Amino acid sequence: MKQEGLKYFTDTHLTGMGLLIFFIFFVGVLFWVYRKSSTEIYHKMEQIPLQDGE
Amino acid sequence: MKTTGNLIEKIFYDDDIVKKFTLATMVWAGAAFLFGLIAALQLAYWPLNANLEWITFGRLRPLHTNAAIFAFAGNAIFAGIYHSSQRLLKTRMFSDLLSKMHFWGWQLIIVAAAITLPLGYSHGKEYAELEWPIDIAIAVVWVIFGLNFFMTIRQRREKHMYVAIWFYIATIITVAVLHIVNSIAIPVSFLHSYPVYAGIQDALVQWWYGHNAVAFFLTTPFLGLMYYYVPKAANRPVYSYRLSIVHFWALVFIYIWAGPHHLLYTSMPEWAQTLGMIFSVMLWAPSWGGMINGLLTLKGSWHLLKTEPLIKFFVAAITFYGMSTFEGPLLSIKSVNSLGHYTDWIIGHVHSGALGWNGFLGFGMIYFLVPRLWKTQLYSKKLLENHFWLGLTGILLYYISMVVAGITQGLMWRAIDGQGNLVYPDFVETVIRIVPLYWVRALGGLLFLIGFILMCYNIYKTIQLAPKAQEDKAVEVARSGYDEVGGTAHRKLEGMGFLFSVLAFLAIAVGSIIEIYPTLSLHKYVRPDSITDPYTPLELAGRDVYVKEGCYVCHSQQIRPIAAEVLRYGKPSTIEESMYDHPFQWGSKRTGPDLARVGKKYPNLWHYSHMVDPRAVTPKSIMPSYPWLAEKDADFLSLRKKLSVMKMVGVPYADDVVANADIHAQKQAQQIAADLEANGSPKGLEKKEIVALIAYLQALGQKGKAQ
Repeated sequence: MKQEGLKYFTDTHLTGMGLLIFFIFFVGVLFWVYRKSSTEIYHKMEQIPLQDGE
Repeated sequence: MKTTGNLIEKIFYDDDIVKKFTLATMVWAGAAFLFGLIAALQLAYWPLNANLEWITFGRLRPLHTNAAIFAFAGNAIFAGIYHSSQRLLKTRMFSDLLSKMHFWGWQLIIVAAAITLPLGYSHGKEYAELEWPIDIAIAVVWVIFGLNFFMTIRQRREKHMYVAIWFYIATIITVAVLHIVNSIAIPVSFLHSYPVYAGIQDALVQWWYGHNAVAFFLTTPFLGLMYYYVPKAANRPVYSYRLSIVHFWALVFIYIWAGPHHLLYTSMPEWAQTLGMIFSVMLWAPSWGGMINGLLTLKGSWHLLKTEPLIKFFVAAITFYGMSTFEGPLLSIKSVNSLGHYTDWIIGHVHSGALGWNGFLGFGMIYFLVPRLWKTQLYSKKLLENHFWLGLTGILLYYISMVVAGITQGLMWRAIDGQGNLVYPDFVETVIRIVPLYWVRALGGLLFLIGFILMCYNIYKTIQLAPKAQEDKAVEVARSGYDEVGGTAHRKLEGMGFLFSVLAFLAIAVGSIIEIYPTLSLHKYVRPDSITDPYTPLELAGRDVYVKEGCYVCHSQQIRPIAAEVLRYGKPSTIEESMYDHPFQWGSKRTGPDLARVGKKYPNLWHYSHMVDPRAVTPKSIMPSYPWLAEKDADFLSLRKKLSVMKMVGVPYADDVVANADIHAQKQAQQIAADLEANGSPKGLEKKEIVALIAYLQALGQKGKAQ
């Protein structure tokens, strides 16, 4: 029956699309995050929890 | 870059709401752990079911899981979110009234659950058992929480949203989507409803929900808490802020797809199973990235373990996060899953997550919060140490005993001798073998509970000895980050709460839609020549009893296409067989055998004797007795309404069957009662619940032309 289900299932382009969206997005995030120019801002961001004076 | 504002304001954080949620966490944790311990003892020693329907395992287990997830973990999340968000965003919560409505609404929901679940009002879907009026209340309270949170973000003074806030946003959005989609049901009466989904659809939607309840209720919010409280406790920033961003997006994108790993080897189409497995395996990377990030935050601060022992809880919690997120993908690999699924291995796995990760992180957070909230010192670090070691020993005993029990039983189920026969054809043999391990598990749970009681005393004394005059102290805050110039698009995105939320929503929507959409066209999978017949009215009444008693907690209805399974239970289950099952009852654990093809396997009298006292037919059985089923009248009157609702959701009942449902049911009940009586059971059972249940059990695997 599973094989039957697979046979009738014709929307594989949806899963392919999902993979593509995911992959492009992931590479995009890596690219964004590891750019050298962002070091300063991340240094500032990581200090936020420590600056509430408590 | 100019980052400081020139205006310094004095504001008051709302710590009263944090105190309330903290105390509620403690109260409900006690309840959840106690229910769990009783349930564990019931499995080791069945007489503890006490022949009381309200505390029988089938009803107690949903109470335990709901209490642990939504009452204990829920309140812990809220306490942490309300505390950390105000400080990260440099503003008081948007509305004290909304905060209070959130708090009291949530406690009311928990109380409603604690009343309805023991009474047997249940959807029959794991971790989504609560009936429709409570479901609506959950949605309303969640929206109140969301509104309060997003408006707080809007009025923040710190433009840059720290990564913990991102995790909270993803939690709020995703839990709302999951809860609403999975809970859609048509009411039959005030406390009864049928889900609109059936069979495979219901299975996929339920485990998309169920898995992501783990992901977005027990993981992302706790990661947010980790990213705030671990740096706070260690007084140093997170090891790598960059890694935390990758951790966030990778988790949000991948987690949502992993649900089908709960349905491997079922009749769900192969493509969805493969999808679930692959995405689960991919989760290894971001999960471990996050774990390493959490642990390395303590790099250079390990000496604090001596002076600040609460950090031990954080270290252990993050380690358990790593262990469970290693084991989860492992169990999602189909060949491993074929051994582990339906066994106690899974129970061990979820408890290393729930007790180790959620429990210990929650405890660490509370030990951190209470002295600060009540402006005092912790009463006793020694007691904290003792709590830690007792709890840790408890978890390890629990985990190891369950993994051993699971693997042992899984291997016994699949053992086949040289002639191709099952080595252990009697299911109960495989149960008796692991009962000693159930005692070890209960001991582990007891140690964990004793540790928690030490914590209660410690927290009680801390608050008792705190200064009586608890004046709110104003904090000085300045607007920050709003006067930057030349920020890149990415910087802007991180500062824009609304757009960020939309993107997070899109991330979870992509996976959800691609995964769920195809099963909405169920007809593609169904072969017309093997169409199933709907349940008769009496069988449906019996099915409602099955759901009410929580039979799905210990019995599956899904035979996998695995040789040993086919030998034991019959041919593999098909999609058609559950196409009219609202809700599906495939189950996730086999404390007792699978029931998908139990119909006609035993005579009616066997079922009668078995329900009244399982030991009468299976001497070593650990199943509770259900004597009340032979005493309580079945509800035939509501059958017309029930069938009409079933018809509304797509079950093809003829009009005259709906109109005369009760009469049809009575007729069939009389036949079964007459058969029972002829074979020696007491007279007058035709009105009783047990006859309806027998009708249902005898129909399992027996409906339709294919049989």
